[in-house]
Amino acid sequence: MNAQFPQIGDLGLAKGIDKAVLYLNVHYSSAFTLLKNILLAYVNFLQNILNWLPWWLFLLLVVVLGKKLRHSFWQGLALAGLVSLIGLVGYWQMMNETLAIVLAAVSISLLLGFPLGVLFSIVNDKYFLPLLDAMQTMPTFVYMIPAVMLLGPGKVPAVLATVVYAVVPLIRLTSHGIRHVDSAMVEAAQAFGSSRWQILWKVQLPQARATIMTGVNQTLLMAVAMVVTCSMIGANGLGMEVLIAINRTESGRGLIAGLCIVIIAVLLDRLTQGIGSKEGEQL
Amino acid sequence: MTEAFFKVEHLTKLFPVGFPSCTAQEALVHLQNGLSREELKAKHHMLAAVHDVSLEVRQGECLTLIGLSGSGKSTLLRCLNRLQEPTAGKIYFRGQEVTAYNKDQLLQFRQQHVAMVFQNFGLMTHRNVLDNVCYGLEVQGMDKEQRYVKGRAMLEMVGLTGWEGEAVQRLSGGMKQRVGLARALANEPDILLMDEAFSALDPLVRNDLQFELLCIQKKMGKTIIFITHDVDEAFKLGNRVGILRDGGLVQLATPEEMLSSPADAYVRKFINDVDSSKVVSIASVMESPTALVRATDGAHLALNTMRVNGVSSAYVVDDKMQLMGLVTLDGVLGVLDKKHSFADILIKEIPTTTTPEQPVNSIMNLAVQASYPIAVTDKYNRLQGIVTKAAVLATLCND
Amino acid sequence: MKKSVWLALMCLFLFLAVSGCGGETKQAKLVFCDAGWDSLRFHNAIAQFIAQKGYGLATEELKGSTPVTYTALLRGDADVYMEIWTSNLATYEDDVKSGKFKVAGINFNDSKQGIYVPRYVIEGDAKRGIAAVAPDLKTVADLAKYPEVFKDEENPGKGRLYGAIPGWRIDEIMFKKFKYYNLDKNFVYFRPGSDAVLSAAFTAAYDKGVPIAGYNWEPTWLSGKLDLVLLADAPYEAQAFLEGKTAAPSVPITIGVSAKAWQQQPEFVKFLQAYHTSSALTAEGLVLLADEKLTYEQAAQKFLKKHPELLKQWLPEDRRVKVEKALEEVRL
Repeated sequence: MNAQFPQIGDLGLAKGIDKAVLYLNVHYSSAFTLLKNILLAYVNFLQNILNWLPWWLFLLLVVVLGKKLRHSFWQGLALAGLVSLIGLVGYWQMMNETLAIVLAAVSISLLLGFPLGVLFSIVNDKYFLPLLDAMQTMPTFVYMIPAVMLLGPGKVPAVLATVVYAVVPLIRLTSHGIRHVDSAMVEAAQAFGSSRWQILWKVQLPQARATIMTGVNQTLLMAVAMVVTCSMIGANGLGMEVLIAINRTESGRGLIAGLCIVIIAVLLDRLTQGIGSKEGEQL
Repeated sequence: MTEAFFKVEHLTKLFPVGFPSCTAQEALVHLQNGLSREELKAKHHMLAAVHDVSLEVRQGECLTLIGLSGSGKSTLLRCLNRLQEPTAGKIYFRGQEVTAYNKDQLLQFRQQHVAMVFQNFGLMTHRNVLDNVCYGLEVQGMDKEQRYVKGRAMLEMVGLTGWEGEAVQRLSGGMKQRVGLARALANEPDILLMDEAFSALDPLVRNDLQFELLCIQKKMGKTIIFITHDVDEAFKLGNRVGILRDGGLVQLATPEEMLSSPADAYVRKFINDVDSSKVVSIASVMESPTALVRATDGAHLALNTMRVNGVSSAYVVDDKMQLMGLVTLDGVLGVLDKKHSFADILIKEIPTTTTPEQPVNSIMNLAVQASYPIAVTDKYNRLQGIVTKAAVLATLCND
Repeated sequence: MKKSVWLALMCLFLFLAVSGCGGETKQAKLVFCDAGWDSLRFHNAIAQFIAQKGYGLATEELKGSTPVTYTALLRGDADVYMEIWTSNLATYEDDVKSGKFKVAGINFNDSKQGIYVPRYVIEGDAKRGIAAVAPDLKTVADLAKYPEVFKDEENPGKGRLYGAIPGWRIDEIMFKKFKYYNLDKNFVYFRPGSDAVLSAAFTAAYDKGVPIAGYNWEPTWLSGKLDLVLLADAPYEAQAFLEGKTAAPSVPITIGVSAKAWQQQPEFVKFLQAYHTSSALTAEGLVLLADEKLTYEQAAQKFLKKHPELLKQWLPEDRRVKVEKALEEVRL
């Protein structure tokens, strides 16, 4: 009854990949170093800004953004209050490190995900959906270990890992939003002699705006969710704090650091949820 | 031979239904060899939505196409501006082959020569009314100042001045369609394609818009191709009417021709429900007044005219043919008996209408109550003709 | 029709669920902790083979991270921990004292850990064309002379020293050592986050032939595969070591047994108490794994076949015979 499934092994695929990574590592190291330096410069740039920003100015910024994006002074104040908790427990510097990586990853995701989402809405995306699924479910370490070997551990593979994971909702929702624009509007635009580009720019994107903003919001949250995994690849910040706490079975410390990560998530979520529905609110 | 304004030749459009078992070209051959539409669908899973339709549209005319749902009318309309690509056949506009246009030429055609009005309005909810109206101009690259001027003029024409900055969601159905109409007209197209444009509106609003369309057409001389399933509407709006059935054109004729000589039993049944009084115009049942008397003629002449024509009343006009009133036989006899003067017996309060282009049922109430035929005058009050009660009531009965 | 299908499915489901419960009382399984690293799994494979073939016990593994599996041992959810790296668990001594679990003995006690650099950094490698960039590097303190050799790309102008896995006790000690030798002036203490990343960093540098310095330990497949040199340090002294001033002691890698199993399986516990290997023997097993791409079970069986003397050491006559017979039947 319990016969073994007939096996043929992986046909040398695993060894082949090992060889490929070794080859790339030895022969193309300058190219990878260049890539790494560019990304590193970008993350460091963000971190420098955050480090330069005095804490009270940061909180003020949160209040102002809260008022502007959520139309509520009290919400802005509440968010600033939550963020100040992070500073009170002494994790402000770590928060900046984490934020730099999150913001770098999200900005790259926006840069890549948005055009890719538009592309997928035009091209028949049923072939790409499995790829998107893989990006979100393939265990991070599987593709991160080669990345660490090629780019070195630290902020750079952390940002890349986060991008791979977090860009997917933006691509999906952009594509979905564009495809589900009312076909009557698209038809009308066509009937009046719009080029494909004009239809995209004047009709589909404005109509899909709310959905796309949901995608941005999701991307942000996914990026924050990757923070602890990033620490396992060598990125400092709140994630590293959580990791240390886990390894030492210090539940309390882990929980506090974890809560700080949650606060960051709440902050980013609340601020960006306002943007898409602004028009809806006014009507 | 002058080239036709807009011509369609042997237009066919095939759709796959599920997994087709032959190519479009093969299906065309099958159809040519006599395979029926149903067989094509059952055996090869190809639907002939439009099959071998040919027609010509004259400049300035309003051509309405009616058919049941599934008759292919929507598909046909969309083939005309190639929103749907015809499978076979050719379309010509002023001698140029539309079906052979490349991408750029097609865009230009759509921008400058043909515009469309949709059943569901097709308005863009992220733009205000003015920006919707100016959409076609924007696509053509017109700058903001210019197109806003045009847009405002269009909105004035459809009676929506003051609504420029409003969101389209706030408009009622009828107003939305006016915006749709304004948008189409802003392009100054040669041809207007209207896809069941008024079918989504309530009857009162529909009436208003039909009337407005007629006025606009008269003013601007647009060529209109109008699709509808409402026979009354088709007959009311169309200079010529075409009936589509199962993808084919069954008959194309003027409303009167179609009423008087329907091509086959299907057409006859289809238009059976047409209330002719809504369709037939006053002008078409108008007669010339036989007994006509001038104000200066006097009672003897009036009497004589009535006797010769065998009628008991006569219309009195002045020397400019302006209608002054009516005199009856009794009244004239009274003048001859020197009981009254001519002026006394002149009945000035007579049923009159000044809109002979309106359908007969617009004077139905008048006809029911009138004791005399209804006089038709122009805006200078000159007598054009008369409509007898009998003529009016006759339009209620079709045979 | 639909309703009766549902009903049938529910009945089937209940039946399967209930029938699954019966098995519990039949035979208790011996649970081995698997915290993921190779040498632990190797020893697990050996011990499980002997438990099954020599003592007729059913075994299973509990996988998890170090703290998770250690906690399981304390609670009695797991029974055997073949390699407890005592220096990495903060509460080890207290737990032993309070009897939360029992120590069967020492698996091996000649492991090493500390700061390693590839040999070619010090001696160069003519075959690979690598020059010796730090010929005078002998001790950890010497590192301070070479920040530009081990440069940190994320922090230009400073060198990088890879630390231990964050949260391990040895990590705190290494960090203290880092400061003690004033390396914090010109170096950055870089926490790799996980041992996978640490290994990847070392492998990548080694393949490229570039310098790298960081924490590592033996025996691992990495230490077996790469030619690494342990930098010297002050001789070990208990208190000073905790402050980072001395070399690491050979950590006694002990075998832990849950209090429950200690009582229930006295015979098997005797075997565990007799179980001794060495760093070299463990490395041998790891080489089998890496080079011959064997599974842990296969490597364990091959290893036992090569070392009949170990079986004589660990097992009483009757049990040993059973195990040897089972080994003969194994095809390798």
